[in-house]
Amino acid sequence: MDPDAVAKAFVEHYYRTFDSNRAGLVNLYQEGSMLTFEGAKTQGAQAIAAKLASLPFQQCMHNISTVDCQPSGPAGGMLVFVSGSLQLAGEQHPLKFSQMFHLMPTPQGSFFVLNDIFRLNYA
Amino acid sequence: MDPDAVAKAFVEHYYRTFDSNRAGLANLYQEGSMLTFEGAKTQGAQAIAAKISSLPFQQCIHNISTVDCQPSGPAGGMLVFVSGSLQLAGEQHALKFSQMFHLMPTPQGSFYVLNDIFRLNYA
Repeated sequence: MDPDAVAKAFVEHYYRTFDSNRAGLVNLYQEGSMLTFEGAKTQGAQAIAAKLASLPFQQCMHNISTVDCQPSGPAGGMLVFVSGSLQLAGEQHPLKFSQMFHLMPTPQGSFFVLNDIFRLNYA
Repeated sequence: MDPDAVAKAFVEHYYRTFDSNRAGLANLYQEGSMLTFEGAKTQGAQAIAAKISSLPFQQCIHNISTVDCQPSGPAGGMLVFVSGSLQLAGEQHALKFSQMFHLMPTPQGSFYVLNDIFRLNYA
């Protein structure tokens, strides 16, 4: 499958899950996965899901502006670099953000997130 | 060496080279390296150096706001996620940007850039 199509499909799935069923994100990570969210480091699917569930907002909507991807090496991994905005319920202005994912293939032909780094882009 | 220290040292070296000796960046890439610069894809150290040299500005200064890093897998690679601003000579306002690097170790104990993705963050 075309890498750009894979990246686009992953991004759509990731943010749709984040915005509608945040707990469901746990299935996208494994034990060795790492998340750095605004500088705070977490490791492992359970801890990462707990971190995301604990973020200080309930409803949110991600709007994606750009998606870039590149293969990451011989192991079949894929780097995905996203920019967009995050609208929180009750807030007047959306927050701009950038995020990178390093996806690794699973034996079932899917991908999991090995590396995840998120940063807000302040004006 | 502490991964955060390695990432910080690389970032300082990369942007110092970019801002003072842009052609010198060729040494940080190899034949299989990939750059996506504002959506434009380039591969290989020579083509990447040519692309960076051809950018429509001469003098610039990168000011780095955040640097996050994570190990990328068993091959010893490192992901580095940067945000900052880019001041072009003659322009009144600095441009915000985000950039990610995937560094791979060299036999000499250094790192080269396998993957490089750059995006401006528009207001």
